[in-house]
Amino acid sequence: MIGETRESPGGGPMSVAEIERELGKLRANEDGTLALRSSVLNLIVVTDEASAPEVTRSVSNLAGRHPARAIVLISDPEGEWNVDAQLSAFCNVRGGGGAQVCAEQVTIHAEGPPANHLESMAGPLLIPDLPVFLWYPGAFSPHSPEFAAMADLADRVIVDSAAREHRDASLREMAELVGREGAPAVGDLQWVGLSPWRSLLADAFAARERAGELEKIASVEVLYAPGGECRVLLLVGWLASSLGWTPKGMARDGDRRRIGFDGPSGDVEVFLSPDSPDARLRRVRLRSADYSFQISRHREHREVKTTVMRGEDLVAERTVHLGHFDLGVLVGEELQFRGRDEVYEAALRSAVEILDL
Amino acid sequence: MADTQALQNPLRDEQRLPRVPDPGVMVIFGASGDLTSRKLVPALYELASQRRLPLEMAVVGISRTEMSHEEFRQKLRETLEEHVSGGVSDDVWDSFAGGIFYLPGDSKEPETYEELKGFLKKLDAERGTLGNRAFYLSASPSLFPTIVGRLGEAGMNEGEDGGWSRLVVEKPFGRDLESARELNDEIRRHFDEAQIYRIDHYLGKETVQNILALRFANGIFEPIWNQHYVDHVQITVAEDIGVGTRGAFYEEAGALRDIVQNHVMQVLCLTAMEPPVAFDAESLREEKVKVLKAVRPIPEDGVEEYAVRGQYTSGWVWGEEVAGYREEENVGPDSVTETYLALRLFVDNWRWAGVPFFLRAGKRMPKKATEVAIQFHSSPHTPFARDDTEGLEPNVLVVRVQPDEGLSLKIGAKVPGAGFEVSSVNMDLLYGTAFLEEAPDAYQRLLLDLMLGDPTLFIRADEAEGAWRILDPVMRRWAEEKKVEFYPAGAWGPREADELLGRDGREWRRP
Ligand SMILES: NC(=O)c1ccc[n+]([C@@H]2O[C@H](COP(=O)([O-])OP(=O)(O)OC[C@H]3O[C@@H](n4cnc5c(N)ncnc54)[C@H](OP(=O)(O)O)[C@@H]3O)[C@@H](O)[C@H]2O)c1
Repeated sequence: MIGETRESPGGGPMSVAEIERELGKLRANEDGTLALRSSVLNLIVVTDEASAPEVTRSVSNLAGRHPARAIVLISDPEGEWNVDAQLSAFCNVRGGGGAQVCAEQVTIHAEGPPANHLESMAGPLLIPDLPVFLWYPGAFSPHSPEFAAMADLADRVIVDSAAREHRDASLREMAELVGREGAPAVGDLQWVGLSPWRSLLADAFAARERAGELEKIASVEVLYAPGGECRVLLLVGWLASSLGWTPKGMARDGDRRRIGFDGPSGDVEVFLSPDSPDARLRRVRLRSADYSFQISRHREHREVKTTVMRGEDLVAERTVHLGHFDLGVLVGEELQFRGRDEVYEAALRSAVEILDL
Repeated sequence: MADTQALQNPLRDEQRLPRVPDPGVMVIFGASGDLTSRKLVPALYELASQRRLPLEMAVVGISRTEMSHEEFRQKLRETLEEHVSGGVSDDVWDSFAGGIFYLPGDSKEPETYEELKGFLKKLDAERGTLGNRAFYLSASPSLFPTIVGRLGEAGMNEGEDGGWSRLVVEKPFGRDLESARELNDEIRRHFDEAQIYRIDHYLGKETVQNILALRFANGIFEPIWNQHYVDHVQITVAEDIGVGTRGAFYEEAGALRDIVQNHVMQVLCLTAMEPPVAFDAESLREEKVKVLKAVRPIPEDGVEEYAVRGQYTSGWVWGEEVAGYREEENVGPDSVTETYLALRLFVDNWRWAGVPFFLRAGKRMPKKATEVAIQFHSSPHTPFARDDTEGLEPNVLVVRVQPDEGLSLKIGAKVPGAGFEVSSVNMDLLYGTAFLEEAPDAYQRLLLDLMLGDPTLFIRADEAEGAWRILDPVMRRWAEEKKVEFYPAGAWGPREADELLGRDGREWRRP
């Protein structure tokens, strides 16, 4: 993607009017013409100093596909009282006519008490009439008053349930959040990362003679890399909630877990092994009495392979692209979706039931 | 659609994940040809790679050239890179190609169909394709009726075992009204209209679909989209290229058959149609057909008042000197084939009574541009002094389809300074550029719709015939007259086209 980042020379404390004026100036081209602004949404990002560079990079990568006004809030409640704004625009030439189109980014460092009132800075900078997405790339606590005030501004909140050290607690809190009366619509990057896997699993059962096997699944094995627990629990939660399995027991063997369910045609056993050195999710295998359905990812490659076997016979096999998984792509997928994601919420509830065993 | 069998699959999350078609086979007649390797297979490969096709998908190619399955795959693989945007992965290709097969055979011979039928049954058993078939007619158009007839005789106009059978017809849909009717009758003897998918790839373009979004997703345009406010409409489909190596093809076709009967008429329909009650195949196509029916017939003895036939001579396009049409490869030295066509049409209905629609399409124009311009009436009264409003022109709303997809509105604004001088300024909105997302190729969109069984963006028989009915008198007259007006390459058409509008005191816009 060709484009340029334009930085506003100034910075420091600025009023809302000053910020708008400076953003306008950023759109002025060298030849005196004015670049266009196009935006389809507002994106508020709350992060800290350490993650800011990576987050900012993802935000400018998003500018092309999801032109937005991005408001990046770098918050440090422990610091000395300080508020300081930096402005930039990512502009690129699109279409054959050579018109410049810019997406704007306002970065605000808020230290000390202002960091607890980020909504007072994000609110006035939103472009009217466009939806507001609130993204927490790192850890966040759904119970804090700061979160509630920010969530009030947003139509959709995007979080990463794996961002916290304590993953079990994170899933529980998420489940509690989506269960709340009037809760915002929530998107979880761990869930988005599962989309291709879910799609491929669904495809494996499209053939008429195999459609019935879904009811007869007796075991599931998931091989993944340590650190992928949230994603894996969501995957299992999704299978359980879609296929009507009720969790009834769990056994641990070191890091491995064996979870027992009551399924529509008897017991279902799920084995989770965090033994893969790489690729967060390496392999998912579902077995019924007659068939096995496997989706597996090659270590270094972007491709995934679906293999359907009946006993020893290969019934179907296919390799496709898994897609890209960098942060920008995952967030981008969430930005396309509006409203509550009921399938996710059901998977999340089910994942928490597993944790409760 | 009634002919898709819903297999209950609780893992399908239609809210979040793209719909994937049922398993099935696509059979391509004309598999060794240009369209197959340049458009169809690349589009299928990209769909497969992006997980948009079912696991159990097979492609069967048929043409006379002797090739093995492997040679056919090899041939497609060789040119694939040129025609896909994202690069080719060997693993993905090998897996996709494992589902590609080739049967050498003459489409005229019944044996070919016996063999095909057996082969497809075998695929159903081995690859789980559920008896679903889409037959793609990509052989020469003269073979269409034969192929359809043979498919019917072999009983392949119905899917196996309760599966579906669909037929894709490439353009041209006939050469005139009569041949289009014959072709449609021939096809419908064996296939129901609901099974027939006539492709006009223009409708697969995101930007063309956006005309509908613009008109019917926004409340502010519809109230002024009629004769009360609109003085006239101009539709332009201009190309800067010449006929290149396709001279022989173009001599047979000409702009009328190549572009106007299909693409330009579709844009006219989308521009002039009434809001459909729903965005489904029948509602949408019903409204388009009504537009075609409402177009005032052109009298055969007065064609020159409604149509101009042009041909480019040598000239300069974008800094390059280019040959005239008659000097192009495989073009006759006294050819009267049109490379340009302008039309003046009236849509005689309540909405458009008295509003002329000016349509033009041509090659070797100054630049590539497709647009619809709605020219509004001048304001009924201006309170400003006459001298002050010299720079003021009536409002124009331009829907640019390509390039630079977007809208522009010409509005009057005050010139800064003392007094009240007003002048026209252009307000531009590039909505296309709002999303950098690469729009999928038109064939990808349409092949996916085909597999999903959604004919909304395909042409119905009465649409194709309706468009021919409008153009038939023009073609008959031109065939007798054998006359063409010239324009130098790099111009916006012949002088006669200007006169077509000039008679009513109007002029063409410069796109
Ligand atoms: N190419 C384009 O960009 C384009 C665009 C729009 C529409 N179309 C339409 O798409 C269709 C195909 O176009 P194309 O450019 O691909 O044409 P093409 O390159 O000439 O291919 C025609 C194909 O038909 C096969 N064929 C001819 N006679 C046959 C017979 N008796 N039995 C079996 N196969 C036979 C030929 O192979 P063998 O000689 O091996 O039999 C060849 O594979 C045409 O209807 C055209 O109007 C093409």
